[in-house]
Amino acid sequence: MVEPAVEAAGLVKRYGNARTGRTALSGLDLTVDRGEVFGFLGPNGAGKTTTIRLLLDLIRPTSGTLRVLGADPRDAVATRGRIGYLAGDFRIDGRQTGREALTYLGDLRGGVPAARIGELAERLDLDLGRRISTLSKGNRQKVGVVQAFMHRPELLVLDEPTSGLDPFLQQRFVELVREAGADGQTVFMSSHVMSEVQQTCHRVGIIREGRLVTVADVDALRSQARRKVEIVFAGSVDPAAFEALPQLQNVTVEQTAGGSVLHALLAGSPDGLVKAAARYQVTSLLAEEPELEEIFFTFYERGDQK
Amino acid sequence: MTVFRKHLTDNRRGFLGWALAITAVAVMYSSLWPVLGDNAGLTNAINGFPAAMRDAFHLDDYGTAPGYFGSSVFGLVVPVLVAVFAIAAGTRAVAGDEEAGTLDLVMAHPVGRVRLAVSRLLAVVAAVAGTGLVLLLAELAIRVPARFSSISVLNLTAICVQLVLFGVCFAAMAFGIGAGTGRRLHAIVGGAYLALASYLCDSFLPQIKGLGWLQSLSPFDWYLGGEPLRHGFQWFHCALLVGTALCFAGAGIWGFSRRDLGQGG
Repeated sequence: MVEPAVEAAGLVKRYGNARTGRTALSGLDLTVDRGEVFGFLGPNGAGKTTTIRLLLDLIRPTSGTLRVLGADPRDAVATRGRIGYLAGDFRIDGRQTGREALTYLGDLRGGVPAARIGELAERLDLDLGRRISTLSKGNRQKVGVVQAFMHRPELLVLDEPTSGLDPFLQQRFVELVREAGADGQTVFMSSHVMSEVQQTCHRVGIIREGRLVTVADVDALRSQARRKVEIVFAGSVDPAAFEALPQLQNVTVEQTAGGSVLHALLAGSPDGLVKAAARYQVTSLLAEEPELEEIFFTFYERGDQK
Repeated sequence: MTVFRKHLTDNRRGFLGWALAITAVAVMYSSLWPVLGDNAGLTNAINGFPAAMRDAFHLDDYGTAPGYFGSSVFGLVVPVLVAVFAIAAGTRAVAGDEEAGTLDLVMAHPVGRVRLAVSRLLAVVAAVAGTGLVLLLAELAIRVPARFSSISVLNLTAICVQLVLFGVCFAAMAFGIGAGTGRRLHAIVGGAYLALASYLCDSFLPQIKGLGWLQSLSPFDWYLGGEPLRHGFQWFHCALLVGTALCFAGAGIWGFSRRDLGQGG
């Protein structure tokens, strides 16, 4: 059996000494399966970056166990060869060109073909010939994206990867993550950009004050989520017919010049609503995509309630 | 090897600049020898200084080539410049990179901590050695025209090698402190204090009665005290310089391999 890509049990990380120290992780339990695109969400200071730095052996846990790609990350040089890492504030020596930097980083991994680097750079519209110190924040971040993806790692560890990228590039990034997921690569991604999480992740874990609060399936969340509906009718309607439907909440009916407008929140199947509305003449119907953001916010704020 | 080469190419401008500057200063002083060396008045004046002062500034024997070179060229300015260069380069190798936040990226790659630290230190050693080599070649080139051929080629080589080891010693101190603590400031200040202390132990403190033994603990003494310009290689002193460097570097690398890395400011 293949071990999970990431497996943490009772992971604790304290910084500093006993008196002045700060606990960043207080017993994190987490499993990310192979081939999964896992979103890691939580407010600032919750321990996301600490967890990610532990995965890469940049820092060492105070207690608990951690296994990455089947091995303890401590001094596991070979494991890091199978990981691609991108930090949100990607920092690199500016006294070199993008090509020099990426060639060097590829050499540390035993060599990455120049064609692969060129292909990624082209997709992101990155000029490899310019010195990094002359690049804008967004262009510098692109260098980071290339170095994380260029060797097609088994595990991608991305820490708020699209900060500083414009919407066009965020979309390109989403494509890259989806391709990686489709190729069977595992992605572990922390993010504040909900649209990006909704578009890429299979599951999300929410961390708060150093503990995993919940893990949820994105599709399940979406089907449970309430969506706003708005129906415009040509004539007047009886609000009671809609208020009686168990799937609808917060039903309001406004009379307008040409007819009436119904607003409501729909949870679950739209079947009853459609049948109820069919008795009238419908001129427009709008059902919004459910916002996961709202669900996440409730976890951010009241994380202890499951 | 990849890390070693990259560190040299990334810092090539700085390393080259230091090597040329140090060599230029040394050549300038060397070329003054025909003017100052045969100057009886100056020699007499210096001989009139108190003995303690002459000792402190290595001003003995200003009238002979080895004496003049030992006190002026290789006596103070050049070793101080080499020490400053070495401390700066040693600091930058790990602690400077770490505080700039750029070490994370490399350490997220399949590079072990020990391998990274050793490669970077070797790159710094190569840069200091390169500086010594440029300096030696320049001195050899002007040896005859500037009329100091009374210093043998072997002895010039000896002083340059010992100068390199002296630089390596301070580079390793700053490197070790920086690698062990991850703090740039600790490495620079630590290196500077150690350099100042070793200078004082070699020059002024031994003038105080009962403190003469301090001199034998100073890297300045291990570099110049055996008068390589007159007596050639001082192998025991070389061993002390190398041994001290290994102690600091070893302790620093040990600490570096065990601690958490900083994220940088």
